[in-house]
Amino acid sequence: MASLSLRNIYKKYPGGVVAVSDFNLEIKDKEFIILVGPSGCGKSTTLRMVAGLEEISSGELYIGDRLVNDVAPKDRDIAMVFQNYALYPHMTVFDNMAFGLKLRKTSKDEIKRRVEEAARILDIEHLLERKPKALSGGQRQRVALGRAIVREPKVFLLDEPLSNLDAKLRAQMRTEITKLHQRLGTTFIYVTHDQTEAMTMGTRIVVMKDGFIQQVDAPQKLYEFPCNLFVAGFIGSPQMNFIEAKVLKENDDFFVEFGSEDTKTRAGVKYQIKLPASKNKDNCLEAYVDKEVIFGIRPEHVHNEPELVANLPDGIVEANVEVTELMGAETYLYMNCEGQAINARVDPSSTARAGDTIKIAIDPAKIHIFDKDTEKTICN
Amino acid sequence: MSNRLFQSVVHQMRDAVDRTIGVIDETYTVVACSDLGKIGENLEVSLMHGAAESEPFVSGRYTYKPFGTPQHPEYMIFVEGTDVEAARYCSILAVSLASIKFYYDENYDRGNFIKNIILDNILPGDIYLKARELRFNSDVTRTVLLIRVASKNDVSVYDIIGNLFPDKTKDFVINISETDIALVKETKQGVSSETITKLANSIVDTLSGEFYTQVSVGIGTTVSSLKDLARSFKEAQVSLEVGKVFDTEKSIVSYDNLGIARLIYQLPTTLCETFLREVFKKGSIDSLDQETLFTIQRFFENNLNVSETSRKLFVHRNTLVYRLEKIRKITGLDLREFDHAIVFKIALMVKKYLKSNPVKY
Repeated sequence: MASLSLRNIYKKYPGGVVAVSDFNLEIKDKEFIILVGPSGCGKSTTLRMVAGLEEISSGELYIGDRLVNDVAPKDRDIAMVFQNYALYPHMTVFDNMAFGLKLRKTSKDEIKRRVEEAARILDIEHLLERKPKALSGGQRQRVALGRAIVREPKVFLLDEPLSNLDAKLRAQMRTEITKLHQRLGTTFIYVTHDQTEAMTMGTRIVVMKDGFIQQVDAPQKLYEFPCNLFVAGFIGSPQMNFIEAKVLKENDDFFVEFGSEDTKTRAGVKYQIKLPASKNKDNCLEAYVDKEVIFGIRPEHVHNEPELVANLPDGIVEANVEVTELMGAETYLYMNCEGQAINARVDPSSTARAGDTIKIAIDPAKIHIFDKDTEKTICN
Repeated sequence: MSNRLFQSVVHQMRDAVDRTIGVIDETYTVVACSDLGKIGENLEVSLMHGAAESEPFVSGRYTYKPFGTPQHPEYMIFVEGTDVEAARYCSILAVSLASIKFYYDENYDRGNFIKNIILDNILPGDIYLKARELRFNSDVTRTVLLIRVASKNDVSVYDIIGNLFPDKTKDFVINISETDIALVKETKQGVSSETITKLANSIVDTLSGEFYTQVSVGIGTTVSSLKDLARSFKEAQVSLEVGKVFDTEKSIVSYDNLGIARLIYQLPTTLCETFLREVFKKGSIDSLDQETLFTIQRFFENNLNVSETSRKLFVHRNTLVYRLEKIRKITGLDLREFDHAIVFKIALMVKKYLKSNPVKY
């Protein structure tokens, strides 16, 4: 078990590509940290630097109290599981898990003990004599995890280990890995581009983009208090709605105004949503009066249920329903409101159909406002 | 072929050993036996994982001893009985059969044949004769992957690759040098380059994940005739070399995907130098500092979009415009113009190529 400390880590390739910039993170012992972000954001490179498979261009990496920048990967007491694992086809599950230890000249008794213990943890004791071709996808994945467990490392590094599995199996393995983390009581660093994996598995999430950390926080906090437009859009499915708007002030009240009204012809409609006073914390909105901003609202905070619409008189707008998707427990409405796309996650009893013009209520208390230029959050 | 050889030896030994003797393969199927009726039968062998695998062991009515490659014994000798004498017979027979197999492999080894093809050590006319002799399937396609070990480790990458692709009738793992290993992989007709790249990924990931060993993989094109394997191998070599110069952050480089780097890599160095002199008439590219080069890189990545690049670089738009102006003054190239940008991009690649110390001509 170990804590990790990444201080001002950079990764620059000789060709000039900078994959990771000024990465700072303290990972506590037994934490389950998720690195999430789109392809090419530097998350795998960061993981590989922790593993020692990529040289750190500058900065310091500590595992426990030990500076490991120049320590060989095999001496870092880590184990890795990658997306494209391969099992040895002619070996049994036992031998697959034991192979690495055999090459490291571990004693036979010790190998037997470790493999049996790992098999017990992963619940694959009954598969030890089977060969890979006789295993299902999920069972193979467990064997791959088993190969890492037998090393009894201080830190587990997992790089998109579930990407090759189908959706159902992925959901099942998500739970398995979370349980595994609880059972092993070890530090886990998990890389994924799938925000669902990030939200459901981690104790803390590191959102990355273009080699930079965007935000580090617990899943719920990240969801409720994104620090910028990117994090707000990346975390959450369906994605947060983003609407170009202007901040207005009347007396002491602040509004966001959006719509398509032409100032000369007066054609189209403009909507104003009154913001609750809590949104102007530290007078943050004052500097944006009469300026363009982007306001965000999550689909679950856009309502068309009559009682909710009645309760939110400050946030009512009209929208044209373009597509509806019944998901069973909820319905997604894809709408157009004066040229701006708005998605809503509503009750499945909703009678809205494609082509309908309906009244929807945007919950003003749940609005996030972002600076249009810097894309930073003004208020959550 | 080996089975016939084993059967011949076992048959000759039948009278000297007063009990049933034979050989089983990896699937525990009897491939040679003093009792001919047993050939093709499957023996139930329970391996004891705790036991040393090179030692004789007892399972059921027989004593067994594996033989073949030390890391991966492909066969086991079996002798009827569970006594000490059976174990002794096993040991003697294993030595004898392993030696015969080694001699046979050396002369008729398919792996050696493939090695000779890819290294151009065999006359083209002999390839087909030998292929027929060794019963090579000529209807399949094959791809050569060249695996180069970047970080030295105490594990044998050759053994690991051999274990990942154990089917010696289809896939061939060949030690080329201290750092290079070639994998000649049988593939299905019309296999996609994505499938081959995925395969290469699994090699890279297994070696780094399991054995902390960094490798890079060059992939040649898929070929349908044995004589073309030499070409596929050379392409894999070129991919690695080109990747080393232009795609330093990539661990897998495919010959199918070299892009403009393929052209630049083949240019005479004198022509490259002339081109650089022509492009940078006003001043040398070396006068651009690291920060400026990084700015240019990001500007190209963002499709020459000033606003987007300035946001990505966390600098004001005007700062970026100032930097681009500075570049124009030094080099005479305005990167906001497509024609100038493409010349600069190629010049940067040519510069990279010359920096890699290519053979001068």
